[in-house]
Amino acid sequence: MKTKFTALVFGTGFGFVIAWARITDPMVIRRMLRLQEADVFLLMGAAIVVAAIGVRLLRAFGARAVVTSDAIAWTTPAPARHHVIGSVIFGIGWSVAATCPGPMLAMIGQGRLAGLFVAAGVLAGLALQGAAARRRMPTALTADQASATCV
Amino acid sequence: MKEESAMYFARCPWYVAGPLIGLIIVGLRLTLNRPFGAAGGLVELVERFGNRRALGAPAFIALGTVLGGALFAVLSGTFGFTWQYGAGAALLPASNVSQFAMLTLAGLVMGYGARMAGGCTSGHGLCGMSLGSRASVLATMTFFGTAVLLSSLFAFLAAQQQ
Repeated sequence: MKTKFTALVFGTGFGFVIAWARITDPMVIRRMLRLQEADVFLLMGAAIVVAAIGVRLLRAFGARAVVTSDAIAWTTPAPARHHVIGSVIFGIGWSVAATCPGPMLAMIGQGRLAGLFVAAGVLAGLALQGAAARRRMPTALTADQASATCV
Repeated sequence: MKEESAMYFARCPWYVAGPLIGLIIVGLRLTLNRPFGAAGGLVELVERFGNRRALGAPAFIALGTVLGGALFAVLSGTFGFTWQYGAGAALLPASNVSQFAMLTLAGLVMGYGARMAGGCTSGHGLCGMSLGSRASVLATMTFFGTAVLLSSLFAFLAAQQQ
């Protein structure tokens, strides 16, 4: 319960900030992807730098997660072909919709209902890929593994 | 009142919004030792549809993202329902029905690719990059490269048609 509430709070913060920074406006993403404005690149860079320093400090101090009491640690997957192929496919959809899953969710919260169509598509695409992966390797994807798929 | 709140909520500059998002990633690590990402919660939704109790942190991050957008819109006095996609739709078909069909299709392609790649702009592009994941660096370079090239191509083709 505490875990879910904490996740909800951080998610709310994220949705608020990206709406405030206008990342939920497809025109802003369109301008970024056409390299007509640097703001979103700079925003992502700043987020990465702050997060990179912060999480390493937590790990270096041997901190334990406040809610779950886990030791703070992480592993990263080795680069593989599916990262490239999946990202090409993702990039194609992104360039057409000019929004991606995070901004799409916050956009819906703002009342921009066209985002619901993007969301319907995203959910269908996620389900489709899960089904395709399971058919190739029936034992590979339990529900728990599937939900941990995203890095 | 409305004008006043709109003034307070002028576009948040990148050097404020970026670090705030960085702190959210740090905060999730500090409290739950979890990675941040929007697509993961949506994967949970499709995997565990109809079983609300089984939804975990990723799904609540996604739900929170919707609430955060709503909270911003209400506080800034910009909340209102609209079907318009705004100027960002410039390269999409003009009629509502074909525009919505195009957006649904684009979403489907995005969802398929994000799950195959193991993350989207937030999971790989923000969180994975900050963890120094080589897979995330590769994924991020790939989806940015693809989308930047295609966006220029679409703009070129649109200019040719006029």
